[in-house]
Amino acid sequence: MLNRTSFVDKINIDTMSFSSVFEIGDSCSIQGFSRAIALQREAEYFNTREGNYSVYPIFSEPIPLLPIEEELTIHTSQLNPIIKVQTIDIIGVSSSSIVHIGNSGNISMESRVKHIRQLFQKNNNRNPSRD
Amino acid sequence: MNYQVYNRDVCVGTIRVLGVSSSSVLIVGDTNSIQLAATFDTPAESLLVGPFVPLTPE
Repeated sequence: MLNRTSFVDKINIDTMSFSSVFEIGDSCSIQGFSRAIALQREAEYFNTREGNYSVYPIFSEPIPLLPIEEELTIHTSQLNPIIKVQTIDIIGVSSSSIVHIGNSGNISMESRVKHIRQLFQKNNNRNPSRD
Repeated sequence: MNYQVYNRDVCVGTIRVLGVSSSSVLIVGDTNSIQLAATFDTPAESLLVGPFVPLTPE
């Protein structure tokens, strides 16, 4: 099976952060992993060295992947082996994400996010203007 | 199952994306396999009302 060639005339990415990758060219295997504790507090209150992944089971529980049991025969004919894209415009790429122009083999990505919100008690609201 | 694919002309004008995040992939090309897994947890227990208690230390 012959792979196709990707043509991208123009690509514009504003921001890349947290172990993200922009790859031009072929790759054979990609494995990405990101985990995050997203803590929102009603007031600005910061603590250094807080947050422990091992406390929350979401970061260790297995994510089951169903095996493909169907016998699959794929035959691909490349009648015009070109993928053309004029412009790609991306504002942000973040948290172990990948922007890839070119062919790849096996891609496996995993993300685990835990959201926590800490709010004031309603009857003890320190910012009454918000009510 | 027999799966027959004919790739003819693929010509795209503009792709505008706000964000690619949390182990996502944007690919212009062919790939053999893509496997994505995600857990996203925001349960009722994670809404803490009351005095701000620091999380478990690192």
